[in-house]
Amino acid sequence: MTAISTQGLSKYYGTIKALDDLNLEIPDNAVFGFLGPNGAGKTTTIKLLTGFARPTSGKAQVAGEKIGDNNLALQSKIGLLPDVPAFYNWMSSREFMRFVGEVHHLPGSEIRNRTEELLELVELKKSGNRRIGGYSRGMRQRLGIAQALINRPKVLFMDEPTSALDPIGRREVLNLILRLRENTTIFMSSHILSDVERVCDMVGIIDKGKLVTVSSVEALQKKYAHSIFEMEFIENPGLFVESLKQITWLAEPAIVIVNGTPVIRVRAVDVNYARKELPRVISDSGLTLTRYELSLPSIEDIFVEILTNRDRQ
Amino acid sequence: MKGFAPLLRKEIREQIRTYKLVIVGSVFLLFGISTPLTLKYLPELLKFAGDEQMVIQIPPPTAVQSLAEYAGTIGQIGVLVTVLIAMGCVANELRSGTAVMILSKPVSRSAFVSAKLIAMSFTFLVSMAAASLFCFGYTVWLIEDTAVLPFVGLNLLLGLFLVFCLAVTLFFSSLFKNSLAAGGIAIAALIGQAAISAIPIIGKYMPGKLLSWGTDLLSGSGENYWWALAITVIVIVLCVYFSQRFLKNRDM
Repeated sequence: MTAISTQGLSKYYGTIKALDDLNLEIPDNAVFGFLGPNGAGKTTTIKLLTGFARPTSGKAQVAGEKIGDNNLALQSKIGLLPDVPAFYNWMSSREFMRFVGEVHHLPGSEIRNRTEELLELVELKKSGNRRIGGYSRGMRQRLGIAQALINRPKVLFMDEPTSALDPIGRREVLNLILRLRENTTIFMSSHILSDVERVCDMVGIIDKGKLVTVSSVEALQKKYAHSIFEMEFIENPGLFVESLKQITWLAEPAIVIVNGTPVIRVRAVDVNYARKELPRVISDSGLTLTRYELSLPSIEDIFVEILTNRDRQ
Repeated sequence: MKGFAPLLRKEIREQIRTYKLVIVGSVFLLFGISTPLTLKYLPELLKFAGDEQMVIQIPPPTAVQSLAEYAGTIGQIGVLVTVLIAMGCVANELRSGTAVMILSKPVSRSAFVSAKLIAMSFTFLVSMAAASLFCFGYTVWLIEDTAVLPFVGLNLLLGLFLVFCLAVTLFFSSLFKNSLAAGGIAIAALIGQAAISAIPIIGKYMPGKLLSWGTDLLSGSGENYWWALAITVIVIVLCVYFSQRFLKNRDM
């Protein structure tokens, strides 16, 4: 089943194309990371998909509801964590959670149970009766996550969910996202690419309103894999590097020091041939191999590479 | 009007917890109590302030004079207070982001707007009822007895006029994210309607005529302005309708 699908979704502000012809299919229970530089169109996309902005053209469905038709039906099935969650400062977080539960028409007993369960989850149970006005940014972010989950949403939109959190808070939120994926599709935009890499199984990269690529993280890493092999040996690899220089299907072999250890890095001219033949060459060298890998790029490497290539074009 | 009941409960709690009810109530009570007291004791106050040789002839105050002066004060300062209280009701929520938090839930824009208007009206009507009770009590006690029904009629018309002012301000608050801009334009609009109320032919259709009608009830003279009353109600409904339309159509 598809949780989010868009066809030619576009949003123009005058002549500015904030979002141009977005076509996306996100399956149920996926964690989708939406990446892009500032002003790329990430927040516009979230606004369109949550019914806070009207598309100039195109259509979209979220959790089985067409956007723009009946936003009330859509909103009962989604949760939203805005980039800067705002609250009524005179309320306590417990009061706010109950209010949100009432707005979702949940029965009283479920509101009480969900409130306590979610405040526990985001570690705000002890401060649940304090006024939100006295909360730190991180506490507000955690409360924002809790309130977005009260209705057990089918699709959860999170705009920069970890940006205001310290490293421990970030880890907790990421673990929470991993747990939520069992029942919820998560659409998160983020600048913190290592977070995306850790929790997302699909990513989309957007630039200047245009979706540049969308793929699973693994497929993207394979597609943009550098043809670089790394090897570590117990013995000094100096002579072996010299012998690699004679092989025509390899290029630029060199020793680099990583964490005080000499590592051979070599680029394959033909990566598939090198995958088959390089282990035999290593075996013939008689050295004791401790590490051998075809290095995969991080999401950050891919992101930078894609956007740099686009700028060159 | 989905989500109206929890929104209204929240708005009324907000009126109480953010001290709006206390502030408006205190201001109105001050007018309600001070008007008959000032009228009654003005000659004594002037004696303390002035020269003993100076003679000022002040006719003894009447109940109608006291109640009409109270209504006049509410019709001026009270209107200013309605604008101050209502100018940020939607604009501040749009600016701070709480509107996005709430409207991302299954609540209709009309419930969001009308809950605000009803909660603010509650604050002003409760404050006005308390102030009027004190004003009437002090007037009867200090000045003279008078009929209660005309004063009730005056208060109903005055209350409706204040709800009209709240609705106009709420409408402008939905248009702008800046509460000062909303308040400024609302004041300009209310002054504009007051000016039009003074024009003989079309004035009798303007909401401002409710104030003259109320004062006329006290003296038992003057004419009824049913058209002004009907138009006031229509404008209130239109303000709510267009506020929610603007919220529905605007990108947040």
